[in-house]
Amino acid sequence: MGPSRGRRHFLLLTLLCGFGVILFRLVTLQVLQAAELTARADRQHQKTVTLEGARGTVTDRHGKVLAMNVEVPSIFGVPTSLDSPANAARSLSPVLHIRREEIEKKLRQDKHFVWLARKVEPEQGHRLEQLSIDGIGMVMEGRRFYPKGPLLSHVLGFVGMDGLGLEGLERRYESQLHGEKRLTILQRDALGRTVFPKGLREQVPATGQSLTLTIDEVIQYIAEKELEEAVDHAHAKSGTIIVLEPQSGGVLAMAVSPRFDPNAVASLTADRWRNRTLTDTYEPGSTMKLVVAAAALEEKVMMPGSMLFGENGRMSVANTTIHDHEKLGWMTFAQMIQKSSNIGAAKTGMLLGEQRLYRYLQAFGFGQRTDIDLPGEVAGLLKSPREWGRRSLASISMGQEVGVTPLQMVSAVSAIANDGVLMKPYVVSEVRDQKGQPVREILPQVKRRVVSPGTARTLTAIMEGVVTNGTGMKAAIPGFRVAGKTGTAQKVDPRTGAYSSALSIGSFVGFVPADAPRLAMIIVIDEPQGEAWGGVVAAPVFRRVGEQVLTYMGVPRDDQVKIAMLAR
Amino acid sequence: MRAVAVTAGLCLVFVFVWERVDVVRLGYSIERLKTQKTLLLRERDQLQVKVSALTAPERIARVATDKLGLFPPQQGQLFIIHPQPDMPLVATPPVEQLRIARSMPIAGGAK
Repeated sequence: MGPSRGRRHFLLLTLLCGFGVILFRLVTLQVLQAAELTARADRQHQKTVTLEGARGTVTDRHGKVLAMNVEVPSIFGVPTSLDSPANAARSLSPVLHIRREEIEKKLRQDKHFVWLARKVEPEQGHRLEQLSIDGIGMVMEGRRFYPKGPLLSHVLGFVGMDGLGLEGLERRYESQLHGEKRLTILQRDALGRTVFPKGLREQVPATGQSLTLTIDEVIQYIAEKELEEAVDHAHAKSGTIIVLEPQSGGVLAMAVSPRFDPNAVASLTADRWRNRTLTDTYEPGSTMKLVVAAAALEEKVMMPGSMLFGENGRMSVANTTIHDHEKLGWMTFAQMIQKSSNIGAAKTGMLLGEQRLYRYLQAFGFGQRTDIDLPGEVAGLLKSPREWGRRSLASISMGQEVGVTPLQMVSAVSAIANDGVLMKPYVVSEVRDQKGQPVREILPQVKRRVVSPGTARTLTAIMEGVVTNGTGMKAAIPGFRVAGKTGTAQKVDPRTGAYSSALSIGSFVGFVPADAPRLAMIIVIDEPQGEAWGGVVAAPVFRRVGEQVLTYMGVPRDDQVKIAMLAR
Repeated sequence: MRAVAVTAGLCLVFVFVWERVDVVRLGYSIERLKTQKTLLLRERDQLQVKVSALTAPERIARVATDKLGLFPPQQGQLFIIHPQPDMPLVATPPVEQLRIARSMPIAGGAK
């Protein structure tokens, strides 16, 4: 009995000790280490992912896609999981089009994760899947595509590798375009598969809003094609073109030559993608005479038939000499514009006086931003009369000593086409949500009246004369009444600080049809070689673009209207 | 009576287990469908980009001239026909349809 009782006590004690150990372990796991172990279990069963909604699309006025996001593969490596970085690099090199040594160097790093290639073509992803290399993985990322290539590139801009808008509309409308970012926790099973997706709807982050532009891709194409041909033909440094709807201020086309492809900007510099239509100023030369003429007509300082003497091509102002391109004697005010007389413009400016001229220049929008919805716009250069020199009045009247952007100039001429009312130019007409419903409509905006309708019509008739009998005859479009003005401005030579005899800017600005304008357009050709007159290098572009665009828009020619009226 | 209660209890346990298993099965099924939807949407987007690139005016013009030998109509070869008799002959801009953002006093000039 005795020994048996001792064994029982021993057994009981052993069991108690065993249970004590188990209890101690249980308390350690469940109480003391509970928080840490729970977190570790969560890390194994839960996966936190960042979901990002796609960036919104950009379409032209007819819904043609100009920019959109597509998910494409990005390739990464896990160097610590690789058996042979050399073998992996050998297999990957022909698929990713990256040198074998470069890939191998990345894979030999002492890291858990390295990017090998981001946002590659879907076909490359498929090929990589077939290779099935351990330690090489693939995630899908949104990549911005510009399916039309260089078309409208200076307006659209582009996004960076992280999907942020860096230039153009992509930058200006970044807050509307970017998709929603959201952290989501997914449950994983033992095989790493996702289970129980809770709240399916909540998991999907919202897509960015989409933009509808005032741009018409066909008009844009015509404008770019003709501008590029003109720049090539003149061996010019660059060129710009803007086509506006005068009544609304909506931009139909806006282009810079040379163009760039926003799908491949990595190797380009800012000089290439800058939207020069609104970031670069130039001395407009004779196109500025339109503003002087508008002011003179409005203030009744001049009438179309008022006589001016051309001083036979030479006139002294403030110890300097103003020249005309030909010896002109007596001429009417209308002829002065048509023949683009510097002396006539200077005399008109002097009759107006500093304050009145300055007021009209400001009213037409010079020296201030147009507030177009694009980034990088400059205000140009318009000094206040207090800073003007003795020659300034004459110089500004013929388009010197003043810096304007092509957008300011076409906007000002659009006001003449629009019966004297200046509109705010704009590019985005509508912002839509992910379901395609409009969330914001941008309507045409009146800035101010700059001249009376009567003055606008009188000036239009004078501008028609520029194209029928004056310096802009190469802008004439058969079957349409064209109103316009040529401009040729010498550039300042940066080495000498004086006007260069070799460097110039040729331009043409106008609208068509003159009696019921549908298009206002400016063409600026920078540093053309050979004959650099605006009437030679820029006016023909106006004709070619105008002819094609009016046909595309279905605007009947004058002779067709007459035929149709006779048929009635 | 006791047997009935036991049977009912077992049925309840069976229903509960079956429901849990089915929830897991449906979870996997939903995940599969989600993946399929994502792939289809991705394919749709890729096709949309292709359609957009193929319909670019630049490409159409190149195909029309280089492959098909077409060229733009010359002067006098194109007539715009207005099929409706009441349609205006002179193209006027749609000023009356134009909505302006805000009405501003535009009576005065730059004076």
